[in-house]
Amino acid sequence: MDLARYAELFRTEVREHLAGIDGALVALADGRQEGAVDELFRATHTIKGMAGAMGYSSVEQMAHATETLLAAVRETSAPADATLLALLYEATDALAQHVDDAVDGHDTRVVSLPLLERLASVADSLDGGQASRTTGTWRVPIEEMQAELNAELNSELHAELNAEQSGELQSALQDATPGSATARLVAVTLAPDAPLKSVRAQIVLAKLEQLGAVQGTEPTVQTLTDSFDGVFTVAITSAHSDSELEAAARSAGDVQRVSVRAPEVRRAVRDVLRHVRIDLKRIDALLDLVGELVISRDRLLSVADATGDRQVIATAQEMSRLVSALQDEILQARMVPVGQVFDRFPRLVRDVARDLGKEIVFTMEGRDITLDRSMLDAIGDPIVHLLRNAIDHGFESAEERVAAGKPEAGRLVLRAVRDRAAIVIAVQDDGRGIDRDRILSKAIAEGRADPTLTSLSDDDLVKLLAQPGFSTAASVTSVSGRGVGIDVVASRVRALGGALDIETTPGEGTTFLLRLPVTLAIVRALLVQVGEATYAVPTAHVVEAVEFDDVDRQSIAGRESVNIRGEVFPLVRLRLLFGDSAGDDAGAQLIVVDAGGQRVACKVDALAGQQDIVVKQFDAVRGATALFSGATILGDGSPALIVDVGSLA
Amino acid sequence: MSRTVLICDDAIFMRTMVGDILQQAGFEIVGEAETGVQAVEKFRQLQPDLVTMDIVMPDMGGIDAVREITKTHPSARILMCSAMGQQALVVEAIQAGAKDFVVKPFQPSRVLEAVQRVLAA
Repeated sequence: MDLARYAELFRTEVREHLAGIDGALVALADGRQEGAVDELFRATHTIKGMAGAMGYSSVEQMAHATETLLAAVRETSAPADATLLALLYEATDALAQHVDDAVDGHDTRVVSLPLLERLASVADSLDGGQASRTTGTWRVPIEEMQAELNAELNSELHAELNAEQSGELQSALQDATPGSATARLVAVTLAPDAPLKSVRAQIVLAKLEQLGAVQGTEPTVQTLTDSFDGVFTVAITSAHSDSELEAAARSAGDVQRVSVRAPEVRRAVRDVLRHVRIDLKRIDALLDLVGELVISRDRLLSVADATGDRQVIATAQEMSRLVSALQDEILQARMVPVGQVFDRFPRLVRDVARDLGKEIVFTMEGRDITLDRSMLDAIGDPIVHLLRNAIDHGFESAEERVAAGKPEAGRLVLRAVRDRAAIVIAVQDDGRGIDRDRILSKAIAEGRADPTLTSLSDDDLVKLLAQPGFSTAASVTSVSGRGVGIDVVASRVRALGGALDIETTPGEGTTFLLRLPVTLAIVRALLVQVGEATYAVPTAHVVEAVEFDDVDRQSIAGRESVNIRGEVFPLVRLRLLFGDSAGDDAGAQLIVVDAGGQRVACKVDALAGQQDIVVKQFDAVRGATALFSGATILGDGSPALIVDVGSLA
Repeated sequence: MSRTVLICDDAIFMRTMVGDILQQAGFEIVGEAETGVQAVEKFRQLQPDLVTMDIVMPDMGGIDAVREITKTHPSARILMCSAMGQQALVVEAIQAGAKDFVVKPFQPSRVLEAVQRVLAA
């Protein structure tokens, strides 16, 4: 059986369970012992089972040792003290490592024996070895192998000895009152390679019991343990013939010398598959194709319109509808719940809070909200940054909180909400809030803000914080409580086609909002003509478009700027930026774009409409100016570069 | 007509793997259950020819599910899927009425042998 094709599915699902373990460990640390231990036990057990199915013995052994410890904790209701928690964390980390190694083809069986020993010894010290007896120990595979080897070597000998061994059974049978039934001894030797021989023996017994009354077994059922070698005798009184009894015993399976051959399985017509697993690359390829279909749909619609033929137009429109539906379906197939990223945060928050000596109650909402898979990997780091930032700077000390009439423990909420075509991820704290006055005076001092400003709106605040290098000085962050690296978060979010917002109230807390498109793969873009070429500007960044002739131009600090309805924006002449001649001002257009908190007006030759474009990421040429974030193919088949708006500021 | 199977396991991965083995052998997977409670419900609803049952599941474990099912359907054909170190539990499951067992890692031939034994009984 080709297990390799299950490896990724294995890894994906094991990661979910590992995240569940992390969550349960946090709950355990919080004193919510009962459910947490059950959850830990179940997750660990499931991982063990899955690893067993894949033949990953390192994972299996580590999971098994952890499970044994958890069983002991559960049975004895031992308190989860720091030592136990630390051990469980260590085991979980080792487990995660083994999983990755195994999937990557390095199931080397090099498990940390000292760790296994410690897990086993703590388990034993808790319950006197009870758990390891019921779940077996991690040494079982070796013992089983030994037992199988012994069975193979000795089975012939045992068969001969059976008659002598069953002396006690003879007397048991004499005591029985069989009526029309006759007493028999059924000697059974299981196949040497039969797994769980003691269980198989139980099945043999169950089969025989259907035909008569079992009087006893040799060895006795209670002693059928791990070291049981598969040779045993059953005493039975039965009205059935010897051959019927023999057939019954054989029907239990794994009986030696009786070839129990499975009948040919008829290959029935295959039923419709309920699930199929598809390589992600295939879905990406499908999406690419659909993207191109979307583009040629737009082309088809305009061509059809031009014909004026109602039938052609109606057919094109029907096609268009179907293509849209197809696009939706494929985008849907790529969606995964944000929980896959969120689930590692409780542990992170707990660790950071502990390191900083803060008490935080962390909750997550909207784990089921789905996001395109391409986005999922990209949002993890920004969220981590915001969470760390909130714990580090957002919360006051416990004393300050109590003095302000707040609960001693800070409340931190991570929330995902669907908002039309966007996903909004909020990191909300109930801390001290951002000190706007401090930020403002700092900004004015650095020449980053208009000296006449007396207050900062949330928008202004985010623009300032998102500026690289602003307010990173420790003296400010310790007072303002914020600012470190927000520019990094903002630029990451912008690169994803999203936006960062801040809502903050002094004394009540701060909320950072990441507004993200549901997918990275298809974006709505404004097409602009610059020189001979067409460029795409994601509409998410476009604030407005105006006629170039309608605005007043002025020079501010030596930089050419435009004044649109009293607001001044730096002017960027895209023709010059892209290495073309200056071009004609007459008939030119201006588009105002939001380059991450800072707005600029870009002069283009003409607007060429809006379109959904399929983003093809490309690696920037080394040393080249990073003006473009990707490329796309337009309806007429010509390529167009996608302008990286963030680079224009 | 192909035989119907209900697969009970809390891991999608395990359900997929067991499902693949049985499907390739011509069985029809009529249902999947992730918990013991679901297993009992779906058994009653679907009356499958065969049930594969994981031992540890949320809500209600596989052994209790076997007890619950055989209470009303003593002839139910239930195949236990066992992981390492579960001898005692599998014995309990057999005593509760499960008909046979397979152990991980699953070898398709072993799984199918066990299935055939269970169905022939």
